[in-house]
Amino acid sequence: MAGAGSLGADRRCNRGIAMVENESLITDEARALVGEVLSEPLSAMITAKEAQRFAYAAGDLNPLYFDVEAARAAGYETTLVPPTFLAWALAPFRPVDQLRGDGLYRGDGRRVNLRVKRVMFGGEEWDFLVPVLAGDIITSTTRLKDLEEKAGSSGSFVLQTTETTFTNQRGEIVARARGKSIAR
Amino acid sequence: MSAQRFADDVRPGEELAPLVKNASRAQLFLFSAATNNPHRIHYDREYAATEGHPDVLVHGPLQEAWLHQFVADWAGPRGRVVALTSQNRGRAFPERDLTFKGRVKTVEVDGTVELEVWEENDAGDVLMPGSARVQLPRRGTGP
Repeated sequence: MAGAGSLGADRRCNRGIAMVENESLITDEARALVGEVLSEPLSAMITAKEAQRFAYAAGDLNPLYFDVEAARAAGYETTLVPPTFLAWALAPFRPVDQLRGDGLYRGDGRRVNLRVKRVMFGGEEWDFLVPVLAGDIITSTTRLKDLEEKAGSSGSFVLQTTETTFTNQRGEIVARARGKSIAR
Repeated sequence: MSAQRFADDVRPGEELAPLVKNASRAQLFLFSAATNNPHRIHYDREYAATEGHPDVLVHGPLQEAWLHQFVADWAGPRGRVVALTSQNRGRAFPERDLTFKGRVKTVEVDGTVELEVWEENDAGDVLMPGSARVQLPRRGTGP
């Protein structure tokens, strides 16, 4: 999962192994994945219609997403894609029999196995380098950037960072998203 | 459409006009659909309770989309949000006001503006602190 690599997949629960005292939450297997690509690159054309569906759902009626004339007046060839939609636009659709009890899809990328029960969305850092226009073909690749074990007030946790790079049909890097998740 | 903002007119310390959002349950459903996100904590209250939540939760990425909207609307059509960071600090619930606030930190001569931005709930708790970098046009330039 790509866009979902930085967001959805991180939020999925890792049903981990039972904890042993003083044992690191980060398995050797997980540590070996740092720097590695977590899933095959995903690629799709982002249409104006799906970009607008996202914008409507978010309640963001920016004319740059809806009105070609407004977009041209601002210097763009056509309407823009809401930048944070990139995280979702490429995720593949999957059969409902792949849903887990919590409703999320079972991951199909490389799993980062940690000795934890739950993974929460911790935040995100975006760089929007080149505007994404409706009709662009975007390809994303997600890497595991970092795993850091930390001591918190309610026990230790792992701060996991993934980085997804988004490239357009001209090979330009249009955006980078560093997703942080907290696994405990 | 929001008015165009120019770097020439922006001063450090200036506050952005707040943006108030209040998500209905139907909006959460639409956002789940638009992002193909079947996670039950966003529409199934009984299930959400099993994960310890008193109600369904507003999606982190929806709050992030609002944070982007807040900054992009401030910047105007020829401004561009070039970086946005956010941290997920607390849970947000539907049918409650969520307010986005911000303040200008720095303004560079090339039109780059750094902002401190955050989201508060109706109790004043900061749910999502963050930052943004915006590229604003200067007066007398652009298309």
